[in-house]
Amino acid sequence: MELKQALILILAGAAGTCGFSLLFRLRKKLIPCAVIGAVLTLVVYVICLRFLHHAFFQNLFPALFGALYAEIAAKVTKSPATQYLACAIIPLVPGGGLYYTMYHFVTGDMASFHTQLTQTARTAAGLAVGIILISVLVHQWRYRSLKTIFEEE
Amino acid sequence: MAQPAFPVEDVLSFAMDLGKSMIRCGAEISRVEETVVRICRAYGMQQTDVFSIVSVIVATTRDPSGKETTQSRRIYSYATNFMQLEKLNALSRRVCADPADPATAREELDKINSDPVRLHPTACIGYILGASAFTVFFGGSWKDALAAAPIAVILWLIGSLVKVHGMSKLFVTALSSATAGFLALGFVRLGLADNASMIMIGDIMLIIPGLMLIHSVREMLCGDLMSGLLRLLESLILALAIACGFAIPILIFG
Repeated sequence: MELKQALILILAGAAGTCGFSLLFRLRKKLIPCAVIGAVLTLVVYVICLRFLHHAFFQNLFPALFGALYAEIAAKVTKSPATQYLACAIIPLVPGGGLYYTMYHFVTGDMASFHTQLTQTARTAAGLAVGIILISVLVHQWRYRSLKTIFEEE
Repeated sequence: MAQPAFPVEDVLSFAMDLGKSMIRCGAEISRVEETVVRICRAYGMQQTDVFSIVSVIVATTRDPSGKETTQSRRIYSYATNFMQLEKLNALSRRVCADPADPATAREELDKINSDPVRLHPTACIGYILGASAFTVFFGGSWKDALAAAPIAVILWLIGSLVKVHGMSKLFVTALSSATAGFLALGFVRLGLADNASMIMIGDIMLIIPGLMLIHSVREMLCGDLMSGLLRLLESLILALAIACGFAIPILIFG
């Protein structure tokens, strides 16, 4: 991917995240922090696109980074990590893939349907696994305390 | 046996309503279950068992005298609203730290819930910015981005009307995508834009349940199987509705 293309991707992704943060009714003070997270995640994504060739890994590493950023930003600004996470992940969300999958299904192009479905599933799995790895690592103490809460007599 | 400070019914009722409000703002199921348990414990309940999926919360709690209460809540719709979710979280934390009278806590909850509805004018700017930026993101030209903006406004209007009239989410999603498809093709026919499919993808980013798909996989991997499955099914059905909506203009004008 050319540098110019990559820059357009990152800038457009940042603007889009800005729009979605308004849509999600994110508190105005937190928007800059959320957009910075999306930009950095996109940088990681562009690098992964260049060097990795499997959709799962292309999305796993940006998701790892985005989730880690969200946890740190949440600690710094003392607000829930979910908001930063959603904003960082939004540009990577397989909206186009999901659409093409269903589109090919409706038009009856089963070969393309299958390709798109696999690609979308890999992307979603990569993002989800990345997010979970971080939340398990970061919140180990929290899950432990949760378990005691639920099972304590 | 010690009597709890407040009736078990009132405590559970407040905890459940808070949980319901959290789901309506787009909270994860694990967070909702945790909140209900924590609040009941803060009020001195002995044991609380809670099960929740995106449409239902069921919980049973036992007070120190051994009296048990079960309540349930049904959730019909939800949308992401971080500002409200943050307030609900803060309220939950405050109540856990200092369990006030459930009636007072409920007043605060009602105040948070009475905040203006989700489709606020700022959301309109969000729609325009999101649609135009993602049109470029997926490879559209600047002209395409400009064309995506008025379509985004129309999608916002359709969304606002739904909030007022309470129409089926599925139908509205299909209607939105069909409208966006007709307009995108129209702009290209008039020579105002270059690539209809890029405009369409930019605009469907607003209505496609992509984030819901990620959340569903995440919930399933975390062990909330039922909730994750329901979310997965819903996001696939919504994507199907979007594809059907777009199929109409494409089949007509191809």
